[in-house]
Amino acid sequence: MGDSQYSFSLTTFSPSGKLVQIEHALTAVGSGQTSLGIKASNGVVIATEKKLPSILVDESSVHKIQSLTPNIGVVYSGMGPDFRVLVRKSRKQAEQYHRLYKEPIPVTQLVRETAAVMQEFTQSGGVRPFGVSLLVAGYDDKGPQLYQVDPSGSYFSWKASAMGKNVSNAKTFLEKRYVEEMELDDAVHTAILTLKEGFEGQISEKNIEIGIIGEKKEFRQVALFIFPLCVSA
Amino acid sequence: MSNSAIDVPSRGGFSFDLCRRNDMLAKKGVNLPSFRKTGTTIVGLIFQDGVILGADTRATEGPIVCDKNCEKIHYMAPNIYCCGAGTAADTEAVTDMVSSQLQLHRYHTGRESRVVTALTLLKKHLFNYQGYVQAALVLGGVDCTGPHLHTIYPHGSTDTLPFATMGSGSLAAMAMFESKYKEGLTKDEGIQLVVDAICSGIFNDLGSGSNVDVCVITKGHKEYLRNHLLPNPRTFVNAKGYSFPKKTEVLLTKITPLRERVEVVEGGDAMEE
Repeated sequence: MGDSQYSFSLTTFSPSGKLVQIEHALTAVGSGQTSLGIKASNGVVIATEKKLPSILVDESSVHKIQSLTPNIGVVYSGMGPDFRVLVRKSRKQAEQYHRLYKEPIPVTQLVRETAAVMQEFTQSGGVRPFGVSLLVAGYDDKGPQLYQVDPSGSYFSWKASAMGKNVSNAKTFLEKRYVEEMELDDAVHTAILTLKEGFEGQISEKNIEIGIIGEKKEFRQVALFIFPLCVSA
Repeated sequence: MSNSAIDVPSRGGFSFDLCRRNDMLAKKGVNLPSFRKTGTTIVGLIFQDGVILGADTRATEGPIVCDKNCEKIHYMAPNIYCCGAGTAADTEAVTDMVSSQLQLHRYHTGRESRVVTALTLLKKHLFNYQGYVQAALVLGGVDCTGPHLHTIYPHGSTDTLPFATMGSGSLAAMAMFESKYKEGLTKDEGIQLVVDAICSGIFNDLGSGSNVDVCVITKGHKEYLRNHLLPNPRTFVNAKGYSFPKKTEVLLTKITPLRERVEVVEGGDAMEE
């Protein structure tokens, strides 16, 4: 980073001590499609709306939920292309960690390294912050974990969280519904209901994506034939 | 030479700076320590359902056997394995690196790795280093286009074959293959032939020995038979064990427990965030 004419940072402090570019990045995230995550006692579920700009788009080619390692998955709210770049970098970092230490990367480590990348882009020359917030779901030796990473590079561990358009309603809904000893199946059900709350139009298995990771520590996308059973209520 | 505090390594390729120094030292009689090499017999063959790879388990440092049971069949991908002969560090590092690259490639494409992909990544790397990375490999696997078996030489050339052998025991093993190989072998016939070939290397080549490892790869399934055959067990083990008579008398025993040097104060101030 730091081409000749842009060796200065575009993200500079305002007189009130704020980094305006990061605030704007968070606004970009806030206008992105809703995504949420719930940590259960025996796993984690992450879910997102998948509203495509037109019915002509081949929805099977769009993957908003990606896996970073066999036991860590991620979803985003905000700008898709920025997400792709971060996923690529994170996968490479996870693989490098594995090469060096011959153990699968712990969730906290991967979150930390991804956050460090996002922070770099707030303090380097000629670049802008990423316009995405990530929800990282993983299951390692410390159990199930859910982290949110913001464009500023700060990260938080959540029991349940939401981001994007419908964040306040979704979070209120989750606060009411969240129970400490929730199992993974209940968590999936709750996730779908939370998405349904703020959904414009008819919710179906074609316009949402759900990823889960259970005790077997394998992140995978849920085949949505269970969907009709969950959304009869 | 850069002036920055961080030493930036030169981009790409092997740094040959120390080769002149090594030559000069060798002329003065100071030789490089000998590498740990895998003397080795490694083989591979294609049978009716896939690929079988085999290897011995002896690693040598010059005339000394430094590892009697090392693993020469390396994992590359769930459907691809690679046997390595030559300098042990080189084979392990190169297969590890390409295995990592294949994993990233699988994430990006969402597909199973192909054997030719592993082949190309390996040969590119070895050619780049002009033979200084001394790894001779037998690469085998089954992908969507079928079973494949390749040999890769340290300078970067490759062959595609129905049956292949590499290493110091390759001639002994090839003699077995040439006389007994035929197309459409069953799994048991294939494993038996591979075992025969490796045993031929174990017993007739000094650089190969100890046990036989076998790996069978078929479509969607693999079996790694570590130490499939142990033709060299330790035969004469003293059942009574060895007892060495005591030479030094104990006159006095005094135990001094270590005292704590640091006082631990519970509940101090928390660090400011």
